[in-house]
Amino acid sequence: MENKKVMKKKTIGLILVIIIVAIGALRVGKELPTIGDLNTPANTNISRYYISNAENDTHAQNIVTAVLADYRGFDTLFETCVLFLSGIAAMVILSDKKKIPEKSREELLAYHKDSNFGSKLMDGAFRIVVPIILIYAVYVLFHGEVSLGGGFQAGALIACAYLLNRIIPNFENAFRKVKVEISLIAAGIGAFFFVLTGFIPMLYGGRFMEFDHLPFHADTLSDLHADGILMVEIGVTVCVAGVIITILEVVLERTDFDD
Amino acid sequence: MTEILKSVEYFLADRGIYMLTLVLLAIGIYGMIACSNYMKKLMCMNIMQVSIIFFFLTFGQKEGATIPVLLNDFLSADAYINPVPHALMLTAIVVSLGITGVGLALLMRIKDIYGTIEESEITGKGGNGK
Repeated sequence: MENKKVMKKKTIGLILVIIIVAIGALRVGKELPTIGDLNTPANTNISRYYISNAENDTHAQNIVTAVLADYRGFDTLFETCVLFLSGIAAMVILSDKKKIPEKSREELLAYHKDSNFGSKLMDGAFRIVVPIILIYAVYVLFHGEVSLGGGFQAGALIACAYLLNRIIPNFENAFRKVKVEISLIAAGIGAFFFVLTGFIPMLYGGRFMEFDHLPFHADTLSDLHADGILMVEIGVTVCVAGVIITILEVVLERTDFDD
Repeated sequence: MTEILKSVEYFLADRGIYMLTLVLLAIGIYGMIACSNYMKKLMCMNIMQVSIIFFFLTFGQKEGATIPVLLNDFLSADAYINPVPHALMLTAIVVSLGITGVGLALLMRIKDIYGTIEESEITGKGGNGK
């Protein structure tokens, strides 16, 4: 009975997959543009304007960052809000599930007796790797405009350093962890900083997210745009790092690895 | 024989990536239908998202173009690949992370109430009164 059901599902799945691939193979040859074609709709319309004017408009050599934080800043704003909401949702869903009690130091030592976790080797590697990751995160954040990098990646790197801190139980520091409330508040501050960057120009006679009207001293308008982009990137970084740490903590606090 | 090989080669160079993303999409959908473990379903959903991200990124390619960073003097609009799909997919990746996080949280609730995340066991059992 059970087996039959599974088989039925698998056959339905296979038939669907065959249909998808067949339709795709028939259509792909005619309707989609060849890869690398310069004259496709995607490559001719607005993207040409972005590429030609990004540096004059925003003083950002990295066109992706210029598009992300300036031309399409509204899009990124709501994307950040969605991420923040997903952090809240993960916390709310799990909030009335009870936490697994924290293991004491002796229990941890006994639990990891046969593994390499917490050994001198892991500890040393951890101490070397994590500062480099953090430095790299800051580098990526501030190079979002002039070379490859950006806010989302920097946030992910910071969260990655925290993840290493969490999964390599260095027993002296095993309880040095961020509270969920604090990381969620940090994420909220990041999203709020982004929104604030949008509102500041409104106080000085501009429209929402019109970085021409930022009240900073700058020689040219494009420098003002560069400042605005940097503020947006910082907000995004804090929000992404906070949300990832929140989801990680919320799940880890309630996970029993003996299961 | 060589002509056939040559046409296949042209097809792969021109549109081969579309087929690969299609195969990835098909794997994801098949996994979401056929796997009975909810965790595996979540992973297959991630595979599907990755295939769509790849699909968008292929539109950004240009013949003989470089990355969209103006490291030296500006050449021409055709010398840099299209930045728009990259910017859109950057946010899509981050949102997929949020989706995965919420999905994991829901899975933990399901595990809490039913004691398992196997679909066959859940439909047979019906939960412990909640």
